[in-house]
Formats: sequence, C-alpha cells, structure tokens
Amino acid sequence: MSLSLDQILILIAISAYITSMLALFTYFLAREPIAKAVGIPFAVIGCATQFVELAVRYETTHVWPLTNLYGSLSLFSAMSVAIFIGFAWRYDVWFLGGFVQALAAGFLAYGLTWNEGTMPAVPALQSYWIKIHVPLVVSAYAAFMVAAVSSLIYLIKYYFGRSLDAPPPSRALQPAHAGAGDAAGTAAQMQIHGATAVTATMREAPGLEAAAAHGSTLAQWLVTLPSLAKLDIMTYRIVAIGLPLLTVGIITGAWWAKEAWGAYWQWDPKETAALTSWIVYAAYMHLHTRSAWRGLRSAWLSILGFITIMFCYLGVNIWISGLHSYKM
Amino acid sequence: MSAPSIAQPASLRAQWNDAVRDVLDLFSNILFAVSLFAVWGVLTLIGVIVDQGKDPSVYFSAYPAGLARLVMRLHFDNVYHSAQYVGIIGLILASLAACTFRRVIPARLPPLRAVKIEHIPLHATILVRGAEGDVRARVERFFSERGWTVRKRELGGVEWTFADKHNWARRGVLVAHTGFVLIAAGTTIYWAKGFSGTTTVISGSTTTIPQTGARIALDRFGYRIDPIETKSGTVYQPIDYVSNVRVTSADGATRAETIRVNHPIDIDGTLVYQATYGFAVTLALTKDGKPVAGPPGRALQEGDGFVVDGTTRAIRYRQFVGTIDRKTGGAAPDPRANDPGVVLDVFDGDQPLGSEVVPFGGKLDLGAGYRVEPLRYTLYSGLQYRYDPGIPLVGIGAFVLLAGLCISFYLLPARLYVRVDPAPGEDAAAARRFAVGLAATTVKGYDIFEERFRDLVNALDGAVNPRDPTPRGDRRPVLGSAAPEPPGAPA
Repeated sequence: MSLSLDQILILIAISAYITSMLALFTYFLAREPIAKAVGIPFAVIGCATQFVELAVRYETTHVWPLTNLYGSLSLFSAMSVAIFIGFAWRYDVWFLGGFVQALAAGFLAYGLTWNEGTMPAVPALQSYWIKIHVPLVVSAYAAFMVAAVSSLIYLIKYYFGRSLDAPPPSRALQPAHAGAGDAAGTAAQMQIHGATAVTATMREAPGLEAAAAHGSTLAQWLVTLPSLAKLDIMTYRIVAIGLPLLTVGIITGAWWAKEAWGAYWQWDPKETAALTSWIVYAAYMHLHTRSAWRGLRSAWLSILGFITIMFCYLGVNIWISGLHSYKM
Repeated sequence: MSAPSIAQPASLRAQWNDAVRDVLDLFSNILFAVSLFAVWGVLTLIGVIVDQGKDPSVYFSAYPAGLARLVMRLHFDNVYHSAQYVGIIGLILASLAACTFRRVIPARLPPLRAVKIEHIPLHATILVRGAEGDVRARVERFFSERGWTVRKRELGGVEWTFADKHNWARRGVLVAHTGFVLIAAGTTIYWAKGFSGTTTVISGSTTTIPQTGARIALDRFGYRIDPIETKSGTVYQPIDYVSNVRVTSADGATRAETIRVNHPIDIDGTLVYQATYGFAVTLALTKDGKPVAGPPGRALQEGDGFVVDGTTRAIRYRQFVGTIDRKTGGAAPDPRANDPGVVLDVFDGDQPLGSEVVPFGGKLDLGAGYRVEPLRYTLYSGLQYRYDPGIPLVGIGAFVLLAGLCISFYLLPARLYVRVDPAPGEDAAAARRFAVGLAATTVKGYDIFEERFRDLVNALDGAVNPRDPTPRGDRRPVLGSAAPEPPGAPA
C-alpha cells in the first residue's frame, strides 16, 4: 500500500504528538528534564508537520483545506499545539504539554474519521472569508482548550492538595522550594517580595508543603506544580487570547453571513452556540476582576466554557442541522 | 432637659433617592451582570437545542406532550423574539450602562499618597551607591525611558516618586461597553428602518421588491452539481448557483446583473442575494382523457396545490425529483434533472391518501377517471433582499468592542510607589548607600503583575547599579508573606 505525501505527513504528526505526549506526561509526573528535552522538539515537529500537511493538501487539491470537519479539526489540533508552545515558551508551562498533546492527537485522529477525500467547496464556502473566519474561530477554540487544560491542572492541584492532611506540627519543616528561604538576614542587596494569596481558593493547601516535607509522594509532586495563583493567571492569559479571537471570529463570520445569506445574524445554531460560549468567557473575564471569583470558581468556569466550545464546534456540526453543517 | 424627639418618616424624596440608589447598586453589581449573562446564555442555548419557528405539531411529535406544551407556553419555539429574550438584553444594556457610569468612568488610579511599601504584596528594595540626588535621578530616568509616567511629591517630609503605566487603559472597559451599545443601536436602526424578505422568480418572469418598487427579471437560472467520489460513495456536491437577471431600479434604469452566493447585488441600497432555487412544474389534469379545470394557470412551486374541480380531492406538488430510480420507482441520489419526476401528495379533504413519484410523461390515476400529469418544469431562483441602514453602526460597534477588549486584556494599568531612603546603618546626612523601595499595584490584582514586577526590579537594579563591585548576594526572589493591605494604606 503506497501512502500519499499528505498521509505520510499526518502519520508523522500523530507519531510526533504521541511521542511528545508521553515525554511531557513523564515530565509532568517526574519532572525529569530529559523528558522535557524530548517532548518539546517532538511537539514542534508535530505542529510544523501538520501545517505543512495542510499546505500540501491545498497545493495538491487546490481546495482550501478548511471546508469540512477533517480540515478544521486538523487546524484545531495544530493551533492547540502552536498556542501551547507559545505559552510554554513564554511562561515555562511545559508540564501542561502531555494533556495538550493527548488532546491534539485525539482530535486529529478523530478528524481523520471524517476524511472523505477531496471535495470542492459548496457555494456558500466559496469566499475569501473562509481564509479569515475559520482560522480565527478554530484558533480561539484551540486557545480555550489550552486554557481548559491549565484549569484542569489547577483543579488537580487544588483538590489533591486539599485532600492532604497536615502532619503533626512537632516536626521541623523545610521550605518546599530549596533555596527560597527569606534572604532578609543575608547580605543581599535586593529583595523582591511576590504577590501573596488573597483568596481562600488561591491559597496553597495549608498542609501541602508540610505533607511534602513529611514524605508524602503526592504532596512532593504537587509542590512541583506552579502555585494556584500562577495557574489561575495562566488560564486568564490564555482566555485573554481566546476571547478576542472568538470575538473577531464571530464578527468576521457575521460579515461573511451578510455577504452569503443576506443577514449578519440569523440565529443559526452555530451562531447562537458561539454566542453562548462568548457569553461564558465574557462572564469569566468579568468575574476574574473580583478576587473572590479568581481561582477555583474561575477554573470551573473555564472548564464550562470549553464544554460550550466543544458543543459549538462538534455538537452543532455533527448533531444539529443548520447553515453550518459542514461535516464532509 | 431636652424635649423628646419624634422620629420623622423619611421624606418621599429621600425614599425615592434610596430606592434609585439601591436599583443602581444592583444594576452596577458585577455579579448581577454576570447573572444576566447566565440567563442570556441559557436562553440562547435553548434556542440552539429547540428548533425555532416550527409548527406546534413539530414540537408535539418531537417531545413529550408536557414538554411540548412548556416549549409553546414559554415561547421557546421562537425564543429569540420572545419578551423574555428581548427583556434580558434590555436588562443587560441597563446593567452595562449602570456599570459604566458608576464603576468604569469613576475608576481612577489611587491618589498620589504615601504608603507602607512593605504592606503592599508586591514590593522590593534595592541598595544603590551614590549621592542621593544622583540615585533619585537614575531611578527616575529608568522609569521614564521605559514609558512610565513619573511624578514626584513631597509627602510628610519624604520625597515620593510615583510611576504610572497604561493609566488610560482603564478606559478599555468603557470602550468595550461603547462598542456593545453601538452594536445594539445598529440593530435597533434595522428594526426601525430596515426591511428584508424573500421572493422567487421563475425563469423568464419578473418579480418586484415591494418596499422599493425595484424589478428583477430572471433571464436564466443555472446550477452546477458535480458527482464526487468519496470513501463513502458518490456525493453530489453543489458547486454553483447563478441567476442572470435584468434589474430595473426605482429611477427606471435597467442593467444586467449576475447574482451568485457570496456575491449579492445592490439595487438602490437594497442588497439582493442568491438564496435558494427550485423547479416550478406545470401539471395537466384530465378526466377520461379530456382536459378539465383544476390546476392553476401558472407553474406550481414546491408546496403549491390545487383542488380537483367538482371533487373533494386535492393535489399538492411536494418535491422535484431530479433522477428517478427506475428499479425502485423512488428518488435516486443524483439531484440533477436526468430522468426527472415529481412527488405528488393526494388528499381527500384534509386527509392524506398517499404520495407518488410521477415521471414527466407519466400519469397518476386519481380514481373516477381523473388523472394528473406533470408536463414540464422550469427552474426558478429564490432571492433574498435586505435593506439594513444599521450595518455601518454595527460594523463600527464591532470594531470598537474589539478594541476595548484588547485594551482591557493586554494593557495593564499599574502604579509604582518609589521612595529613596538612606540604607540601614547609613548616616542620613552623609549617606552614600541608599535603599530604593518600590511597591506596585494594578487594577487586576497583584499576581498578574508579579513576573513583570520581578523583571522590572531586576532591570532597575542593573540600571542603577551598573558597575557596583559588591556581590549582589542571593537574588532569588523571595515570596512575601505579609498580609496584603489595600493600596494607598497610610504610611
């Protein structure tokens, strides 16, 4: 059986994602630098290969590769990894990678089940807007996926941390972060004091560091994760990328709908589902201005937002008929 | 001894003012706004899940009777035009206005005043060698060169330096809210002054847009559907729909135009879109082989019907079949008009008697000697027209909303409090080492600024201590544990 270049590239991408996933999961669990060193290049290779594959498909078929679920899921998984790499590079959050790569590989594999071969676009999709609107909304979905993963890590750390009992107070405790002791008594010329937790759900579990010092494997692992406050800020930053992208995506979609169907808003299931997601994330951004809502509630809201995104993206495309039923 | 005082009832005006204040407090509460968002989201989602604008019988066949009655009673069958949906949007706009005027516009950076630096969670101290004036100048220059607005005040005998960045970005929320209002205004303009509608025009005939009087004559409608081989079999994929028309605008000028999907034409400001197409069919009715009255003189479109004269029988043209599967007698997957026919429904009064696929040239026996025969078909074009004077405002609103979101999300208004004191152990009069204390506050809390604050302090340290040979000691940031106090706590 001979494989086309397109198929070979897909296989390379999936293989790279799986390798990266295994390596970054190892890094997530064991904090082995070698695992990170392996996972990062494979994530980059998988992502780059996917973009090349999309370009090859366009070059060979002359059909814009985003006119069906296969094409958009391909872009979705590639953008998820690209956004993750960007954030991980900037904020050193590679520990999220195993989850992101697993989802990317899963969505890409699922997209393959919708691959029916090359089909020309239906008249409504024969517009330059498809080259603007679809990448924007798919990128927004991808950003929200990475945000949901960040929130998931928050919830893991929060609930596992809270499940730990504090050890007896008689034991002398060591700081969890080696070398992070107060330098006030040293000859240090500069001291920087970071933000302190301000809400109950942003505060690290009271017994966490003590349990880690007491020998709890789970606690020792949990303290290697970034603080809850950092995870919360990370999610916020990713949502702050996704929401404007979704907004522009909805706006460009409305503009396209005006050209194609005569009305910029027709309460089509896709439009209204996207509006629902937009409302959830707008609520997230509003509530995040209140300290009481940062942390746990925000994490759950981010997860809820991603569920609405999945409903908007896959649920509406697959199960609900409407103007956006572009499965094949 | 003073006379006993009698509690006077609050004046009506005071009660009114209290009530207004309570309402404004409620509407400017962000949790109330988010609650409205939640209701809006749920109603919107209901509109996605429940088919909109269908006949009640559709809901009763799709849902249990109780649920179908609930759908009808709560107007979930047309939720986007229901009173509750319009009402919730109205409440959101009211909440948005209250938030804007009571929270967003009054929000300003805290006043320039002394603070206890160590009580602000984000704080740092840097030791710098040099003359006091020189140290102050280096610190000020550092912030100025990085785009911070630097102001100095002497407060309580201490000279303070305040550095602000992106202060104007506090207005991002106001900008976003303005965009939202502009979109709502644009939509309202359409409701007030715009119009839209659909029309069909059979090849060779003319239709008129009633609101403007513009006429559209369809010379020819063409479609292209290609058979595509996929992994699941042959799929007949629509490729193109084209209406070649002659347009006569209100001033009487006529011109030829082509309407395609994604390429509407403009007639006197009204846009006309290619929406649908279909096959108009001419039927003939005979009794014992002789023509009888019954079918209308015009060609029938899908859904049209007629009553057979002198009987209770009625015929309805339900659907055009492009290709009849001769083996089964039903419709083949190919929608192109290769071996065409029509699906006819036969009724006796209101009671359906059955449906039949009848090929062109074939006849359907209705009983009692009556027969109906499809004679010929003609393509018709379904057009949609829309005049929307609110579009420019909606477009501007969308742009403004987006700009507001970007300003709010990506520009973080921050304030730095800086004071320079002699280093511990230095004589105040002859000090050569000074402690530069900094504290930072932002409108989005402290955590979001921590990393940038650390970078800033490191950069400041590098800038003001460029050639200091003294080892800097442990530079690892130390997380503070001081209980946070609101910014601006008095020194």
